[in-house]
Amino acid sequence: MKMPGRVYLVGAGPGDPELLTLKAANLLAVADVIVFDRLVSPEILAFANPQARRIPVGKEPRRHPVPQSEINRILVREARAGHLVVRLKGGDPFVFGRGSEEALALRAAGLRCDVVPGITAAQGCAAATGVPLTHRGLATSVRFITGHCRADEPLDFDWDGLADPATTLVIYMGAANIAEIATRLQGHGRDPDTPVMAINNGTRPDERRLVSRLADIAITAADASFAGPVVFIVGDVVALYGDSHMSPALQSALATANDVSREAAPYA
Amino acid sequence: MVRPHDTRFRRLPIQPTISALNAINAGDKAMQQLPVCLNMSDRLVVVTGGGQTAARRAETALRAGARVRVVAEHVGDAFDDITDDPRIEIRNSALERADLDGVFVVFAASGNTADDAAVVRLAREANVMVNVADHSALGDFSIPSIIDRSPLLIAVSSSGTSPLFGRLITQRLEATIPAAFGNLTRFLGSIRDGLTQRIPDSRRRRRFLETIVDGTVADLVLSGNEERARTLLAKEADSFVSGGDTPEGEVYLVGGGPGDPDLLTFRALRLMQRADVVVYDRLIGSPILELVRPDAERIYVGKKRNQHALPQDEISRLLVRLARDGKRVLRLKGGDPFIFGRGGEEIELLASEGIPFQIVPGITAASGCSSFAGIPLTHRDHAQACIFVTGHTKTGRLSSDWATVLQPNQTVVVYMGLAVLGDLMRDFIANGADPSLPVAIIENGTRPNQKVATGTLSDIASITEAAGITGPALIIIGTVVTLREKLAWFNQPAPKDAAATAALSSETGGLAAASAPDVPVEGAAVR
Ligand SMILES: C[S@@+](CC[C@H](N)C(=O)[O-])C[C@H]1O[C@@H](n2cnc3c(N)ncnc32)[C@H](O)[C@@H]1O
Ligand SMILES: C[S@@+](CC[C@H](N)C(=O)[O-])C[C@H]1O[C@@H](n2cnc3c(N)ncnc32)[C@H](O)[C@@H]1O
Repeated sequence: MKMPGRVYLVGAGPGDPELLTLKAANLLAVADVIVFDRLVSPEILAFANPQARRIPVGKEPRRHPVPQSEINRILVREARAGHLVVRLKGGDPFVFGRGSEEALALRAAGLRCDVVPGITAAQGCAAATGVPLTHRGLATSVRFITGHCRADEPLDFDWDGLADPATTLVIYMGAANIAEIATRLQGHGRDPDTPVMAINNGTRPDERRLVSRLADIAITAADASFAGPVVFIVGDVVALYGDSHMSPALQSALATANDVSREAAPYA
Repeated sequence: MVRPHDTRFRRLPIQPTISALNAINAGDKAMQQLPVCLNMSDRLVVVTGGGQTAARRAETALRAGARVRVVAEHVGDAFDDITDDPRIEIRNSALERADLDGVFVVFAASGNTADDAAVVRLAREANVMVNVADHSALGDFSIPSIIDRSPLLIAVSSSGTSPLFGRLITQRLEATIPAAFGNLTRFLGSIRDGLTQRIPDSRRRRRFLETIVDGTVADLVLSGNEERARTLLAKEADSFVSGGDTPEGEVYLVGGGPGDPDLLTFRALRLMQRADVVVYDRLIGSPILELVRPDAERIYVGKKRNQHALPQDEISRLLVRLARDGKRVLRLKGGDPFIFGRGGEEIELLASEGIPFQIVPGITAASGCSSFAGIPLTHRDHAQACIFVTGHTKTGRLSSDWATVLQPNQTVVVYMGLAVLGDLMRDFIANGADPSLPVAIIENGTRPNQKVATGTLSDIASITEAAGITGPALIIIGTVVTLREKLAWFNQPAPKDAAATAALSSETGGLAAASAPDVPVEGAAVR
């Protein structure tokens, strides 16, 4: 009888390979099988055991994503075959990644699943741009929401609660619905002048940022026609993103990284 | 040969390197041995034994330049490769006291414990250091696994605790150290004296060397172009020397994560190894601090007994002053610097003073605790939103109002809330939250002594108190907490593969210590 293998649900961070944890890299180096998402960059897969079998399961543009139930089946199958399986997910596995569903499926099959946290996209983007998620006098709390909803369902939030000016709002998977979200937030009392930053491919070489305000973000974001993942950071902390607060090093980093016109953005 | 992909290692409970090594030393923080490198050139060593192990020892000694006297009644084929070497002498007899005259060290490698013990006795009489293969505790020292990029040597030792594990690590490192590093080391050795003259200050010299090692000069050496490397080096040294008296300082604002050193990012570790001075506070545990460059100055700015922590604006000014002195300053913070870490305040002053800085995110307590307690922050059927708030010791209130916090399908994570837990939970209920809403308290999340207590808004305060939880602790509120029942893994016995784990840990001796016994403090069953 084969001994069952083991699955590690591992966060790969936002993309910069230097933001991988040591634990994640060590597990990649000994994995037999690596099941990974589209969001995971090739530089990170370079840490993998060269003999490991790689199974991509992420959504490719213009291709059908592997359904969640199928991903779960793959994980169970590989673990039962006695392999050391690393399930590599972008960011943190327990933040909007459906990682918990995979872990539950493994447990239901009687398999062990260890979890390795990762730097979530919001943290990577905050550090890269110098915009803190909480800051004395500007934001006492930070909230993460998903702008994605199940097909044919409306976005389901208590919008009044989301309008709190002292809470930084971070929107994941929001590119498609940013217009509706921005409108609703303003409708429920959030100041149209609230600064908003969109970060596309945060922490990667092709990172782009755009600074705007709640009233304009839908249009400026549409104009930027981002390709790849985007997070939106909504709140007064974004006002800290500006030349007066930037070190020369950061400024020069920005000058090269930021291809979105800063002149067009009121807060840049 | 042990390879990382040997089936033997397949199901190792992989607590990768740092925590495993820390765990081995957990009971006994002192180093168990002192690594040294011996000059062997032309010295006489004795190897006892005629088998494979003895032959490998003899070979290593020859490689290091020693003369080798092999003493064994029978010397086997394993020696065939080296018996032609003029520096080798074979004596076909049991070891006698006279064989040890003028001998520097003895390697007992007969493979027979009684014979080896006899060798140890003779060596002790003769006052000669002795090593016993595979039983280093019997003798005076152990032999590490070696990565040989001479003159660069990397030795990995488990202090004799688990040589197999040491070899596994060596194997992993092998692949990451280019073969040409030997050349680079030799090159750097050849410029050492000249450089000391040009740049007498050791801190500045170190910094110059770093730019060299990361830059074109090193690339030229590694690709075999030493001549051009030397020309370029001279040029770079000129411009470095004329570049002003003090080098430009900078600040690295680095998240150290929740406590498990394996959760550091590569960038954090790299900057920790580069800093001249580290400024840290209470949340940074010693396993992480130990990874900072050992000769870096350490400045503690957290709370001391009978004393308050250094006020925030003084910390910011300290960072500026140190950087102005030309130092590379590591500001090491628990978790992530931009999540309740006051990192924004520190960079404001740096920016206005024109000091260059970098920000490195870290695993925040919420993520560390969520993963290690098996409580996802979001889940399709439970939470589409998650909010991080803080508890306030003075007011007993949360950092946000109730309309913000009490949202449907939202996980609430409270940092710094333990001191006012009872009041907070009552407030939640008074403001309309369901008293049976599940709550978890995670103390020392991700650390070997992690404790998790679960309950509901109405009973968690008393459960937490009964469990003796004192912090640092994080509060997670929401129905996601119920998933812990299925998803808990850290410090949990895993019935299915428990046998495999046990078998392996006896084989690798010591690694098992990496998973300490659990300290579950499950309170009332979570509903
Ligand atoms: C399915 S969610 C996974 C989130 C992930 N588990 C995490 O913790 O970051 C994917 C969303 O994460 C965000 N995201 C991930 N990586 C990003 C990056 N490098 N830059 C910007 N946004 C990113 C985007 O909002 C994207 O739509
Ligand atoms: C001043 S805040 C700093 C938070 C930090 N910047 C972060 O991102 O995690 C300190 C609080 O973090 C939480 N915390 C930090 N490390 C923790 C750990 N290992 N386990 C549980 N809670 C922790 C506790 O709530 C503690 O009171």
